[in-house]
Amino acid sequence: MSKVSGADHSWRDFTRVSPARSFFLMGCGALLGLGLAGYSLFTARGTSTLRVPPEAVALVNQQPISRSDYLAQMQTLYGVDPAHATRAERAQVLEDMIREELFVQRGKELDLVSSDPETRAALVNAVELEIAADAITAQPSEAALRAYYEVHRTRYVSEGTMRLRDLVFAPGDAAGAARAVLMLKSATPGAPLPGELQARDSGKIADEEFYFAARIHLGERLFEAAQRLGDGAVCAPIETADGIHVLYMLENRVPARFAYEAARDQVLKDYRNDAIAHLRTGDELFLRRRANVLIADDLR
Amino acid sequence: MRAACLAAAALAMIGAVQLYRAHIEARLLRSDPESLPTDAAMMQFARAPGRQLYEAHCASCHGLAGGGDTARGVPALNDADWLYGSGSVADIERVIDYGIRSYHPKAWNLAVMPAYARPQPSTRESRLEPLSPGEIRDVVEYLWARQGRDADVEAARRGAQVYAGRGGCYDCHAPDAQGDSAIGAPNLTDRITLYGDGSREALALSVAYGRQGVCPAWTGRLRAADIRELALYVYSLSHTRRRHVEG
Repeated sequence: MSKVSGADHSWRDFTRVSPARSFFLMGCGALLGLGLAGYSLFTARGTSTLRVPPEAVALVNQQPISRSDYLAQMQTLYGVDPAHATRAERAQVLEDMIREELFVQRGKELDLVSSDPETRAALVNAVELEIAADAITAQPSEAALRAYYEVHRTRYVSEGTMRLRDLVFAPGDAAGAARAVLMLKSATPGAPLPGELQARDSGKIADEEFYFAARIHLGERLFEAAQRLGDGAVCAPIETADGIHVLYMLENRVPARFAYEAARDQVLKDYRNDAIAHLRTGDELFLRRRANVLIADDLR
Repeated sequence: MRAACLAAAALAMIGAVQLYRAHIEARLLRSDPESLPTDAAMMQFARAPGRQLYEAHCASCHGLAGGGDTARGVPALNDADWLYGSGSVADIERVIDYGIRSYHPKAWNLAVMPAYARPQPSTRESRLEPLSPGEIRDVVEYLWARQGRDADVEAARRGAQVYAGRGGCYDCHAPDAQGDSAIGAPNLTDRITLYGDGSREALALSVAYGRQGVCPAWTGRLRAADIRELALYVYSLSHTRRRHVEG
């Protein structure tokens, strides 16, 4: 049971109840609460204020114009920082930005977004970015990137290259082609081709080429055969519409896996893109679920 | 009662410190960013929080001393070579605000190094054609020559033609190969390396498979005052070192 304090008891004695102390503390609490409420009232987002926050250069209907954007605009338009800009230049930049903000606000009032295709497209882009913001701004750990790289390692390979001779024998000259294969197999790799070969070089592979280019130049069938040849190897004759082809591989560098460090840029980009796609799909599903979409009978 | 008074005094003190800090931060934000480096008091004020922010958000890539990492293509922040902008406080602040290829609409993302060893080197520039392995070697030889190193003269001559023609390299890196910091195209005539060890092989890898480094955007995640303090700290990294070097 609490003891009632007498007049002779000091209000500083915390072992006794003191009405004076209670009122004093209640008053402090009330003042603190009022202070906090007042501060929140005048600083909360969306609060109308007459004071321009330091990170803004102006407030247009309470919408701030960022100081950073103002500096960038000044640099873009006049190539100077505010200290070196003239008064007229500074005023012009500010006026332009205020004008833009006013027109944007008017555009919202007019609900241009419901009719103007460009505004709609820009808004769709902006919302997509907003949805993806978490994935965009999050910095994945090296461990997460390495794990992603290991799972998708087939993506991170170099382009193979090949250098070869594509010898074409006349249609029907299968014997000549077979003889050439035997001669080339015993030839020194890189040495000039024997002169007695009765064949022409197709010229489809002029020099060293990447696999994708060789595929285009040789065609799918010849490329598939070429891809399997090692350095100095010769393929069996391949008959096509323009004659019999014998492929003599001078140098074949197969695609090699990139080390993680070399591929990191691409890994990070792919990792982010996957995360963004995942978020967008999830958000679209959410939007569809909560939306009331009615489709015309003839389109159902 | 004494305890209550002490608590009230402490609260008042904290409030006063916060008010003072808010006042200085407002001054920091309202000042012309380029005048701040000469304002010793402001630099002093920004240094400690800027350093804390740097260590929390930037050091994992750029390194504690801002030395960068050529293995990952992370630029050094403690030298005088700026890939984007001129290294002014406002330029640094803009990178921190909106990032590089960060997907933020205001991010610096005009240029992406094409991958010339891929069937479609650039998704943006559909007219760009791939180069052959020989052409890539020639371009590397040309750049090697531009850097004043021993190069195969004939290959460098062919490479110069590719640089100024089919490769379209001049479009970003400028006809004199000195780069363009307005779009983040590095100077190819100096020996400052962003990726790899600066060898022919490292250069060839960049030409063959492209580059697309990113820096996240911090606007909305850090306060405007934090970003200004961070920008000043990053600015001080290069200028402190430069003063040491000059000294």
